[in-house]
Amino acid sequence: MSDETKLASGDSVCLPNGLVSHGDSRTRRVYETARSLHSGAVKDLLSLGVCERCIFRLIPVEAFDSDVSSVSTSTLRSWLESGDDETGPLESSCSRICIVCLGILQFVFSDAKQKLVKTDTSSDYAARITELVKQDRHEFDSFGLEVSVPSIIIENERAVLSYLKGKYSNEGWLQIKKISVKDALKILVLDPLRASLGAKSDSSTFHIRLIYSRASDGAQGASEKTHESKRRKTDAENGSNCISENSFEKVYEPCLLSVHCNKMPIFFSGRYFKYSRNVSQSRWIIDDERMGEASVEEILGGNILPACLGDSYKFHAAGREDIDVRMLGSGRPFLIEIQNSRQCPSEQSLKEVEEKINNSEKKLVGVKDLRCVGSQCWAMMREGEAEKQKQYAALVWISRPLEDKDLNSISSLIELKILQKTPVRVLHRRSPLDREKIIHWMKVEKIKGNSHYFLLHLCTQAGTYIKEFVHGDLGRTTPSMGSILGCRAEIIQLDVTDVKMGDS
Amino acid sequence: MEIQKIEVAKNPEIEDAIELPKKGSHDEVEDCEEQQQQQEAQEDEKNRVEEEDELRNLLLSDIGGLPISPPSATQVNFVTYFITDFTKSGHDQYIYRHANGLCVIGLAPTHIAFKDEGGITNIDFNVGKSDRSVLKVSGKRKKNALRSESNTALCKVSTAKDTYIVRCCVKGSLLEVNDRLIKQPQLLNASADREGYIAIIMPRPTDWTKNKESLITLEEYKEKKELSL
Repeated sequence: MSDETKLASGDSVCLPNGLVSHGDSRTRRVYETARSLHSGAVKDLLSLGVCERCIFRLIPVEAFDSDVSSVSTSTLRSWLESGDDETGPLESSCSRICIVCLGILQFVFSDAKQKLVKTDTSSDYAARITELVKQDRHEFDSFGLEVSVPSIIIENERAVLSYLKGKYSNEGWLQIKKISVKDALKILVLDPLRASLGAKSDSSTFHIRLIYSRASDGAQGASEKTHESKRRKTDAENGSNCISENSFEKVYEPCLLSVHCNKMPIFFSGRYFKYSRNVSQSRWIIDDERMGEASVEEILGGNILPACLGDSYKFHAAGREDIDVRMLGSGRPFLIEIQNSRQCPSEQSLKEVEEKINNSEKKLVGVKDLRCVGSQCWAMMREGEAEKQKQYAALVWISRPLEDKDLNSISSLIELKILQKTPVRVLHRRSPLDREKIIHWMKVEKIKGNSHYFLLHLCTQAGTYIKEFVHGDLGRTTPSMGSILGCRAEIIQLDVTDVKMGDS
Repeated sequence: MEIQKIEVAKNPEIEDAIELPKKGSHDEVEDCEEQQQQQEAQEDEKNRVEEEDELRNLLLSDIGGLPISPPSATQVNFVTYFITDFTKSGHDQYIYRHANGLCVIGLAPTHIAFKDEGGITNIDFNVGKSDRSVLKVSGKRKKNALRSESNTALCKVSTAKDTYIVRCCVKGSLLEVNDRLIKQPQLLNASADREGYIAIIMPRPTDWTKNKESLITLEEYKEKKELSL
């Protein structure tokens, strides 16, 4: 940054005698704070290799707050150094990474390509972060900031604080609670980041996570430090004080920073239709072979996901049907959960997704009322599952011809209670139980020219096994269609004609 | 659309006069609304009828050629095996194996018990060390299921003449016995191949592979039956 910009942002020009020529109230406050820090401690920490902002954190006279972010690193340094005329010019700050925060609060880091990035002010730093965030192409108007730092920093800080405690045992500022590196970074960059991204900050659905991690050979140094600090701790416990300036090793490698953006999942609801008897509801693969030619889950999710530019999807439906059962009538309610979507699709693009699915060549699956919903969608799904009634149409064959009295005997059965043992076809994965279910009503529709087949319309409690009700499942479902009509009954095909849900 | 136009036209007049023109336009608005509601209701009814017709077409579209006698649920969902002369001559049993691995065990039509006059009169599950009809298997993991070998006794069936022991034929966990047979032993005589099944066993995959060697298919069973007759 040029000097003019520095001045414009309110930075002050430092004169050799420490007088401030101009600058706004924030930077003046920071300047005054810098001057009022314990100069001996400041000198010690500077020579150890602690960075300017860490010094502000560790030797606090006032709370460390966002005002500090308004001052560039180099200016801070000159204010801290200029308080001490006795020492000569100290080592240039360019090559030194803070031994406590490992460059994090100096806004220095290595990027993904292992290139060293040095920014002097918090707004520069915010600009770099913004670049990285924009690469991910998320659309957002508010964000939550999260920071993750290597754990060695806690040890580093503990070591430096014990050293200070040893040397300046009675100073008041030792007792003040120190702000952590994580919190300090958030305090420093939140406002500039807000400005640079053009977004509000809140605990929202979109999170930006700054992940700092140790570069590889730094890891070795870290473990050495661990041993050292352990040794130091036991020494302190023993009462002796052998922490000297020489125990602290210099740090040459800054941390690796990667920026992760994550959006909380978004949901789409709708109703789907299944027109094919060879399509399963969810992806079904046995021994590397797919069962059926497609799945409702993949057709719906695979079309919605690209419209959201998301990472992955999850499919939830209010109940399910077998692969060979069609879902007709009003459709079955479903939810698609999209992880880490980059944009929320418009109504127009949702309509296009609907049309694409409904007008596809094979006509396996249909969808309607596709819309984006909030987190209240779960209540809607729960409602639909266990309590509601379902309506079916089954093509039934019986071993004797259908008579007119049969139509009456069937339609007169209202709220019929049946007892179903767990069907053999699912007994391998479900508990062996006796389940009492209710058939609310039934209606027989004759088929022209055929007295052994008829269409059975029935409305049942959720969870009823229809196929087993028709063929009796070796007598384990009673009563069954066969026992009611006094003959053998088989189910040829089944369709779901209505899934009742609340008001819709 | 119409309602809105009327209102727009009337509005300047409402400002001048006080109540009568307002009332007039209100009446017209009401009439139009009623008409609209009626139209909407009629359209709704039409839509509903159309949807129902569409549904009916869909339901019936699938019904192609209907066979006179379609295959039964057992034939469609299970693979049928037989074992003949198991431990004793004439002890023929069937094993229906489902795609999920479960095996339904029962008496084959050529079982020696059916040859006795009057057929089977009684069945008793209290054999071996426990009464099989009181076992309580619970949960997905099928806790408390009896681990049976292929020659573990399932039950005794009695006719007027004699009593015969029915065995598992399949090594595995005994999930269920058909306790309806206790009160209705005639199910065995009437439909031993469906409602008269004896038990359901869950074999482990490796056990089944070994077991399968001693079983024969429906075709082989039919051939054998011809020979013995």
